[in-house]
Amino acid sequence: MSYLIPVVVLLSASICVGVTNADFAHDVAPILQAHCVQCHGGNEAQGGFSMNTRELFLESDAAVPGKPESSHFLELIGSADQEERMPPVDQPGLSPAEIKTLREWVASGMDWDDGLTFSLDSYQAPLRLFDVSLLGPDGWHPIDQLLFGNSSSDSTDTEFVHATAPKLPARVADNLFVRRVSLDLIGLLPDQDQLRAFTGDSSRDRHTNLIESLLARDLDYAEHWLTFWNDLLRNDYTGTGFITGGRKQITNWLYAALVRNEPYDEFTRQLIAPPTDASTGFIDGIKWRGEVSAGQTLPIQFSQSVSQAFLGINMKCASCHDSFIDQWKLDDAYGLAAVYANEPLDVFRCDKPTGRQATAAWLFPELGSIDAAAPRAQRLSQLANLMTSPDNARFARTISNRIWGQLFGRGLIHPLDAMHLRPENETLLELLAHRLVDHGYDLKDLIRFITTSRAYQTGSTSLQETDIGQSTETPHQIRSLTPTAKRMTAEQFVDNAWRITGTAPIKFDAPIIRSSQSESSELPEVTLQAGWIWGESAAAGQLPPGNETVTLRYSFDLAADVDAAIATVTADNAFQLFIGNRLIARSEDWTKPQAIPLTGLLKKGKNTLVIVATNYADRPNLAGVYFEARVRLSDGSETRLRSGTDWQSSSATSAIREDRLGKTPGPWKPATIVSGNSVHQARVGTLLKQQLATLDANPDKMVRAALMKNDFLMRTLGRPGREQIVSSRAAGMTTLEAIELSNGADLAYIVSAGAENLLNRTSVDRSAGEDHAIFDHAAFSNSLFRRAFGRNANSGELEILQQQLGRSPTSAQVEDVIWAVLMSPEFWIVR
Amino acid sequence: MSSTHTSHDCDANETSARRDFLKQLAAAGAATLGMSAPRALANDFGTIAHPTATADSCILIWLAGGMAAPETFDPKTYHPFEVGMPVDRMLSTFPSIDTAVDQIKICKGLENIASVMDRGTLIRSAVQPDLGSILHSRHQYHWHTGYVPPQTVAAPHLGAWMAKVLGPNNPVMPPFINIGQRLEGVGEKEELKAFTTAGFFGSEFGPMNLPYAEQAARAVQPPEGISSQRFADRDRLFRRLVDQSPGRDLASDFHRDSILRSMDNAYRLLSSDDRRAFDITAETPESLQKYDTGRFGRGCLLARRLVDAGARFVEVTTEYVPFLHWDTHNSGHETVARLHGEIDQPIAQLIRDLDANGRLDRTLVVIASEFSRDAMIEGRPGSSANDQATFKVDKVTEPKHYGLHRHFTGGTSVMMFGGGIKRGGLYGSTAPERPLVAIENPVSVMDLHATIMTAMGISPKTGFDIEGRPFYVTKDGQGRAVTELFG
Repeated sequence: MSYLIPVVVLLSASICVGVTNADFAHDVAPILQAHCVQCHGGNEAQGGFSMNTRELFLESDAAVPGKPESSHFLELIGSADQEERMPPVDQPGLSPAEIKTLREWVASGMDWDDGLTFSLDSYQAPLRLFDVSLLGPDGWHPIDQLLFGNSSSDSTDTEFVHATAPKLPARVADNLFVRRVSLDLIGLLPDQDQLRAFTGDSSRDRHTNLIESLLARDLDYAEHWLTFWNDLLRNDYTGTGFITGGRKQITNWLYAALVRNEPYDEFTRQLIAPPTDASTGFIDGIKWRGEVSAGQTLPIQFSQSVSQAFLGINMKCASCHDSFIDQWKLDDAYGLAAVYANEPLDVFRCDKPTGRQATAAWLFPELGSIDAAAPRAQRLSQLANLMTSPDNARFARTISNRIWGQLFGRGLIHPLDAMHLRPENETLLELLAHRLVDHGYDLKDLIRFITTSRAYQTGSTSLQETDIGQSTETPHQIRSLTPTAKRMTAEQFVDNAWRITGTAPIKFDAPIIRSSQSESSELPEVTLQAGWIWGESAAAGQLPPGNETVTLRYSFDLAADVDAAIATVTADNAFQLFIGNRLIARSEDWTKPQAIPLTGLLKKGKNTLVIVATNYADRPNLAGVYFEARVRLSDGSETRLRSGTDWQSSSATSAIREDRLGKTPGPWKPATIVSGNSVHQARVGTLLKQQLATLDANPDKMVRAALMKNDFLMRTLGRPGREQIVSSRAAGMTTLEAIELSNGADLAYIVSAGAENLLNRTSVDRSAGEDHAIFDHAAFSNSLFRRAFGRNANSGELEILQQQLGRSPTSAQVEDVIWAVLMSPEFWIVR
Repeated sequence: MSSTHTSHDCDANETSARRDFLKQLAAAGAATLGMSAPRALANDFGTIAHPTATADSCILIWLAGGMAAPETFDPKTYHPFEVGMPVDRMLSTFPSIDTAVDQIKICKGLENIASVMDRGTLIRSAVQPDLGSILHSRHQYHWHTGYVPPQTVAAPHLGAWMAKVLGPNNPVMPPFINIGQRLEGVGEKEELKAFTTAGFFGSEFGPMNLPYAEQAARAVQPPEGISSQRFADRDRLFRRLVDQSPGRDLASDFHRDSILRSMDNAYRLLSSDDRRAFDITAETPESLQKYDTGRFGRGCLLARRLVDAGARFVEVTTEYVPFLHWDTHNSGHETVARLHGEIDQPIAQLIRDLDANGRLDRTLVVIASEFSRDAMIEGRPGSSANDQATFKVDKVTEPKHYGLHRHFTGGTSVMMFGGGIKRGGLYGSTAPERPLVAIENPVSVMDLHATIMTAMGISPKTGFDIEGRPFYVTKDGQGRAVTELFG
């Protein structure tokens, strides 16, 4: 436990200030060291009191310089009351001489040598990336060079000199590798063809080829990693806050960014300084109506979320008071918060006002600063740029560590949000961060880089109970350099149970466009049917006046529930779209039509769309709104919604509060078809068509659990509520989970419907008549085992399954086999 | 100044004088950051000194939606409905009746509860903060976790605290059971889920949710359509396959062990005799009839059966659905008259049954709501909270105006029975005239929690280290049990 013993560290030459009777470094510090800092220094701050620095000492009001009589700590150390005395009675107290020294030190002003602290000699990562040199052997993957290139150095046997060449560890068995890499990269178990192709492939590059082919599956990749990002950015489709408009999704933006593999620096800039509404949800946090504690206002939420997600900094301590566990101070938390704040931000300490106001600032002034006087949008943009600057090594290290953690089951720094700790292998983390920065912050490339290393492709070790809760600082049981077995997430379990049993739902909840850019050009062409419309001012070919805002509305009935719907909308110059009076989308750039998923927003029965559109400039000029939607109903029919003369317009507008539209007064007139808009059509027509065409994209693609609202089964299996950032999920299974898996309705449905599906697929030899039909139990069992475990059943298993299934199994018997397979540790564990 | 505080006292002025044995290990704290592995805080002598428990089980009867104290446990001057009566004359819309305790009167309609008043203590001075906007969701979250949302970590429900700190009373009974509240298909369901959780303790300590008492048996039975024989066969098939699987020899594999252990626990519960406790149809028709005023009444019966079988914490609610049940924004009188009928008999019967079989002495029953109601005041006197009354009239002209329709946080009634609580007690009082604020011995949510936890043998200073910070069962470990409530 040596790391717990605080040490006095002289960070700079001691400079005594003023004339004192007691010399701090020689007389005072040793007393504090001997009696106090074990509980009130280093990482300890018992009673909320730390004496690591003079500042902390005074902040707790334990002492008043120059006033020994008002210094409470002197009272305590001199107290005759056994209950009250410090240190506690089970430890020796201070001698009268020692107390006298401390009293004199306080009386003379409590001089404290500059830079002297009782805090631990803690690890300080360099702010900027440092160079990493690889020692070979050449031709080895850089990660492998670092980990295995110098194999004899690990030996503790000094008498035996390794003369052998460094050796790479063996790869894991093919079936386990395919299973692991497929689950890690796209979240799905490999299908049988893939498995066969891989095991039959004799090429040297087959591991890399498989990785490439998985990463090329843009939607599968996005739909797997969406879970990781939703957890980290606390984005969800349901949850607290939505009901009062206090929270916004970023789903559509996030999904598209993952599909196109947006470079991580640009991705982050769009989250911190959102260029459009689509990604504001992250920094806007979750707002509850009414008063909230000073530690949870929206600016403070911003400070905490930005620090944790991008830098692995826990700013939650420092949001209330200077942190006891790391370097961050109240002013750091508030400085970051002030970047976001719309108004001057009062600094609160422990929910009490300090009387000071925060100044917008960035955490690492060595790397640049924020102009606190700049308008908010500029401050956010400056922060985004500082954060994503290649100089900011911590940004690259944090995400590299997270990705390593996802793939290896454990971060090089662990826990993943404690980036102040020393990495298990500092050079390796640096190598990853360099790779990310040097390759344009390409996350897929980083994943490719890690998974193509031999380190990743070796056999995994199993997680031990003693590993739970252990950090990189704990000296034992660290296993971040070889893959650790992982448990399937809720989403992985549900996805693969659906896949094996063929029971996935047919529609999904996430408001996304399930298509990639490259696909949209291959979709069947869609003809446009809507017109460009405006209010009365455009009647008879007139140019509408500048700075005019009109309200356009359209009510319609849908005969059935909506399976899927997509809209394309644009307006010259700007629009806001409301459905059910709730703001859905807006844009101020008519040349970029917005593709808006409407699934989940439209319902059977009456719906009302409202578009509030504004024409810019001071003089009359061309204006127009284009709206068209394709709605696929549950009865299989398709309906179009199109802007036209059956829309109504009003020149009045209504107030918008918390993204809700009030009641718009009339009079309502039929909307006018705008003439002379060929310029619009020429500029955006093709885009409008492409956006509408995406409704036809991937109609048969299996719906993924990550695209569904959190339900009881997934919640039980550990999918978080996403009110807080979550960067790793629990490893163990709980009894309540097991109860749900044993008798819950959701899994019972998957298993029973799956039994029917699987029975229908399995060949039955009926040549001897229905009464003598022979069920091919081996074919059935092997097929199920290959899908679930990536292997055939062994002889012992076949015997059990034959007994269970017999010659002509019932659905119930098949159900029980499916259930037993899905519950098997072999299914749950990603080795 | 006390010298035994274990709290993380955020107040700088008091900090220095507090001897705090908080084990604030930074390394340990860092280790739990981002992981669901909170670490119990201890003091230098080992563990926090917990009080001696006076109760083994706790039943929280949750009258969700804001139960008006003047219409239930704290009657004021009664004015019958009269067309044209000024609203400010509406204090109670029910006359008061005598109870088994001389000094206590409660509202007409609660005759059965009145008859068992001598077995518990009535608190009339519970108070809640205004929070700037009186929202059921935030006040319910606060009441159930001790913390006002939003929070930087997911706060555990008080049932989860008991599950975590005390564990189950009977090893096969889930320690935290929640009866009567749907979490799907109702308004504000996400807000309900936010506190109906074990939060950072992880789902092991989370609630078993049983929205319909009459269907509870299904929650602990093999799935529908699977006989107990087949269920046993299925379990055997599972075990045989696991034994044959190639990975069976992996020693000390945490994932594998936790799956097998949990499956084993689940099987034991789902095939044990104890699960009969979940089946209210096992009651005699006479017994069922004594409780069966509807869903809530059946929930009380189920709660009694579960406690008999060794449940640790059971919440049973009239259910929160915006604008339904106790969320009386109009026709308050008529609605509360119906609610009296729903709660009076089953609550009283629950107390009688527990008392008759001797369990009441070790079972703490708490009846509470997120706040009270008033005809005139939203929040507290002088509150700046938005008035959410659906209509504001000076004179009562229609029956729907008759009743208390605003959210009132200045004085609320809480009833406690058993588990060491004084019999026949009355604590605190509210003003006889509006504003009906607590004028004697106000009890905060925090101190109420401290009292409940103390009865259960959990120190109000109990804390866990999560993400490097201490998190306590009562905020900052500051809750103090109201000792006068104990017998």
